[in-house]
Amino acid sequence: MIKKFIYLLTLSLLLISSTSVLAQSLGFTFALGGASVKMNDMKYLQEHILDTYPVEGKITSSFPPFTSASISVFKQLYDHIRIGGAYSYSTTGGKSSYADYSGNISTEINATSHRLGAYISYLVSGGNRLDLLLKGSLDANYTSLSIQSSYNIYSYQSGINNYYRSISPAITVGTELMYQFNKFSLGIEAGYLVDLAGDLKNRDSGEALLDPNDFERTLSSDWTGWYVQIKGMIPLKF
Amino acid sequence: MGKYIIVIISVLLFSGLPACFYSDRELFEVEPIPGDPPLFSLTTNLDTLRNPPVNDSLEVSYEVEISGGELYYLYADVASITIYESDSSSGSFWINASLADSPGVDSLHMEFYYSSNSNSLADKVGYEALVEYLSFAIDFNLEIKK
Repeated sequence: MIKKFIYLLTLSLLLISSTSVLAQSLGFTFALGGASVKMNDMKYLQEHILDTYPVEGKITSSFPPFTSASISVFKQLYDHIRIGGAYSYSTTGGKSSYADYSGNISTEINATSHRLGAYISYLVSGGNRLDLLLKGSLDANYTSLSIQSSYNIYSYQSGINNYYRSISPAITVGTELMYQFNKFSLGIEAGYLVDLAGDLKNRDSGEALLDPNDFERTLSSDWTGWYVQIKGMIPLKF
Repeated sequence: MGKYIIVIISVLLFSGLPACFYSDRELFEVEPIPGDPPLFSLTTNLDTLRNPPVNDSLEVSYEVEISGGELYYLYADVASITIYESDSSSGSFWINASLADSPGVDSLHMEFYYSSNSNSLADKVGYEALVEYLSFAIDFNLEIKK
């Protein structure tokens, strides 16, 4: 608990420091792309759920690379250094199912990551138009996860939805290659996110999502993975 | 030029909004391969009797054997009234003379629901069954009571 508090306090201070120096050269960025995720525990849970099916179902998707987007505001602190605050969003999921003439059974896991954090970037090389930057960020990662199981057999149907959440710190390192137009820049950002995996708890009851084969272990979300995004940057000069 | 690019990017971003919510609509469609149908056989104490009389009451005992399958449920009806139901593959029940309004031959109908071995989802969870209908003539000999 104290660790979480210190962590959130540090993040808040970083965010405040990055926005309180709004003065001359501000800007904002937006980015959209895809991200791969580990989600080992969720893949494991998916396998377990599939094993409980009375028929031989199939995993039709298992946390594939999916949408990742972010927006940020930044301050050009020095010629080579920017600091800023950013919100990032990623989503992925998995599904197992079975269907025949008599009905169907399916389980869908949807995971969404909301990350809020502070970042610093360093201009490694800048030409007339082309900038290469290195970037590092520290985020608080809030994961929202739903597990929806349903079956439909002839005229009978039933289902159950469970919602979980987790909070974890995440660190990102990446690089940006931006091409400057007159009033904005466009480019590409790629990097690697390390998520320090947060334990999943039921959103309503607060109960941990336990490993079905080992009740001593709590399953966690893990967004660790690569990401690639197309990025736009608009500087605002006051 | 810059304005157009921003407009194009904005349109692209908005058109990509559905991609911000993960969804998988695929269902793994299967055509189940049915197993051999179960073999149904029934033995009752009425098998060797012709129009067994119900003077005051008549006991019916049965034993079901389903080779390669499982009995789910059975119903026994007389004069459209369910007089017995069970999930047991052997047992007995009584037919009372009070079930009949008038003397004469009536029927005991028995329905046996058992596994279909179709290997479908419904079959695996016991929601799909084959049915065997059997009838026995019984004689409500009400005059003896009087």
